[in-house]
Amino acid sequence: MNLAAIVQDQTSHAEAVLFYLLAPITVLSAVGMLLVKKAVHSALLLAAVMISLAIFYILNEAPFLGIVQIIVYTGAVMMLFLFILMLVGVDSADSLVETIKGQRILGIIAAVGVGGLLIALVSKGNLGHRLFGLEMANGEGNVQGIAKLIFGQYVWPFEVISALLITAALGSMVLAHREPDSDKKDQRALSEERVRQSAQPVAGLPGPGTFARHNAVDIPALLPDGTSSDVSVSDVITARGHLAKPGDFKFLETSDDDREGN
Amino acid sequence: MNAPNIEYGILGPILIVLAAALIGVLIEAFVSRRYRYILQTGTAFAAVALAFLQLVLIRQTSSKAAVSSMSIDGVTIVLQGSVLIFGFLGLLLIAERGFQSFTAQAAAIPGSNEEQKALVSGLQQTEVFPLTLFAISGAMLFPAANDLLTLFVSLEVLSLPLYLMAGLSQRRRLLSQEAALKYFLLGAFSSAFFLFGSAFIYGQAGSTTFDGIRKSIVESGGSDQFLLVGLALLTVGLLFKVSAAPFHAWTPDVYQGSPTPVTAFMAAVTKVAAFGAAIRIYYFAVGGLVWSWRPILIAISIVTMAIGTVIAIAQKDIKRVLAYSAIAHSGFLLTGIIALSKDGLNATLIYLFTYGFTTIGTFAIVTLVRDSGGEVSDLNRWAGLGKRSPLVAGTFTLFLLGLAGIPLTSGFVGKFAIFTAAYKSGNISVVVAGVLASAIAAFFYIRIIVMMYFSDPVEDGTSVVIPSAMTVATIAICAVATLVMGIYPQPVISAINSLAFFAG
Repeated sequence: MNLAAIVQDQTSHAEAVLFYLLAPITVLSAVGMLLVKKAVHSALLLAAVMISLAIFYILNEAPFLGIVQIIVYTGAVMMLFLFILMLVGVDSADSLVETIKGQRILGIIAAVGVGGLLIALVSKGNLGHRLFGLEMANGEGNVQGIAKLIFGQYVWPFEVISALLITAALGSMVLAHREPDSDKKDQRALSEERVRQSAQPVAGLPGPGTFARHNAVDIPALLPDGTSSDVSVSDVITARGHLAKPGDFKFLETSDDDREGN
Repeated sequence: MNAPNIEYGILGPILIVLAAALIGVLIEAFVSRRYRYILQTGTAFAAVALAFLQLVLIRQTSSKAAVSSMSIDGVTIVLQGSVLIFGFLGLLLIAERGFQSFTAQAAAIPGSNEEQKALVSGLQQTEVFPLTLFAISGAMLFPAANDLLTLFVSLEVLSLPLYLMAGLSQRRRLLSQEAALKYFLLGAFSSAFFLFGSAFIYGQAGSTTFDGIRKSIVESGGSDQFLLVGLALLTVGLLFKVSAAPFHAWTPDVYQGSPTPVTAFMAAVTKVAAFGAAIRIYYFAVGGLVWSWRPILIAISIVTMAIGTVIAIAQKDIKRVLAYSAIAHSGFLLTGIIALSKDGLNATLIYLFTYGFTTIGTFAIVTLVRDSGGEVSDLNRWAGLGKRSPLVAGTFTLFLLGLAGIPLTSGFVGKFAIFTAAYKSGNISVVVAGVLASAIAAFFYIRIIVMMYFSDPVEDGTSVVIPSAMTVATIAICAVATLVMGIYPQPVISAINSLAFFAG
């Protein structure tokens, strides 16, 4: 009895309906994930694949795995993907230029070949017995069963994973952590320094026209003593000789009446 | 349910190294920068030495441990001992004075002022020590794993630190970062194959332990598709790790880009660990399927030897030459697995033990030949080295002859043992290919020797730096090992022969 027949034999009606509904969605989403050009679409399709897989797990009486799949993968891992997409820029798309000639064609041929081979072998596969063990595995409840395995038979690999996680944390520190630069001045130090250097105006350079009669870019600012400030006008204007003098607007002072009249 | 029993004594060597790695992480977190280097090196060397001591104490063990997740037997002891020795030598190179090979701050952009400043002010990162210890512990777990899950986790514990360390080079950092990324992506890809294969095997055997798989093959007659599909995918994952063709593409780039001490460490330790795991799988777990996997491995072995030796001839960079030579050696080592006999097992272990010393020594010499910009890896600039630095060139010649497998070096002993075992098991094709490949390989090793001695030195600033005691010790140990095991290999051979048995 081959695998397909065994599965058909042991699958309930509702389960089959759900399977045939979800299976095409999963496969199409997975293929689409590779084919779409925008990274965000790819991420969304990946989420669809993960959620469908979670439903399959629950369907196969592994509720704990299904929920963990949703929380960890669809929740946490997808969130990381999206963070990275946001860092890289949502609009950035992969360059589709081939750096190795004929790579895409060869890649497709290889993928179809391996996929076809696997499908052919698995569909003809023969277990030689009925599927069994679910009652045993879930006998004391699903979570209890998993706990028994993790802290019983697989306690050693489970503990060794901690080394892997520490390595990952250490690695991200090595690759991303920067020493605070001790020479770099903070904002406070910079402002104090500015006040001490009294030659420089503390509040920055005056803009053109400050306290003057006119605020066009070629009018120098007036200092408290009535003289004009050279630093207030762009050097370009000075060099072109377009610089206006405060005195140029003297006539206005004599015609205060006109202004009030208007 | 009873609490599972963990045999701390016989798992001691691994636990000591893991504990030291954790102490290293804590040192990074809590100790002032000034004392970190000295504490880290002290912890690392002490841990490896202690672990080796514990290994010697438990050398007669032959049992399963940690609920059948691990198998601590003679084969494991030999392999873990090799890993610890090569790990120690690798650590000596990594700890070399002034960290000439490692970037001061991995996060700084290559060529930036920040990088320069970190380098000048001595803000040197020392995380490489805990990472190395994690890699060593992974390499000790990998050949001892007796269950597919443990095998997978150990593979990752071994690989992840190596991916990171590959990107920490001080010179030519873009090349180094590219190497790290390539290694990581391809490694992750191959891990997926490995895991997929494990799932298929579990599906058929109903067990993840090697004993369970072995039993299920005996019961089912081994004609099951799922088992074969699973084994094929698992083989892809393993062959990637040992860099056998056609999964070798990462090797030259990673060997070239990594800091040279890391390359030395990786070349020796990964090979021991990966072949150790492969031996346990092919000899013990799926030995019953030999008629299915042997033809494939024969083909891969021959292709690997051919690619390794032929492409090495065209290389102009010394580290790439050595990388292709490492690929060719993977091909030679596969013949030991193909043999599937006690002779093959002994020969593979002897080959791994001798090869590790020679390869670490070779890369140690590569760290010495420098100019103002760092290591000189361009082969043409090694011309005339024999006239300027006869001692360094002489030692390098010894190592190259060792890699070529010329008599009176340890390489010959390894090669002779492994080809004899393959011949005795009736796999003549692979022996013929091996001998031919060795002859071609000898050509490019000897070409380098000729270049060092028979061409005039080029005055281009290339010089041999005077190394500190650490590198001198490494090179001396490796040279003595290469020579002594070549002239008088009997003690090592008989020790390995008497130890190398699987726990049933």
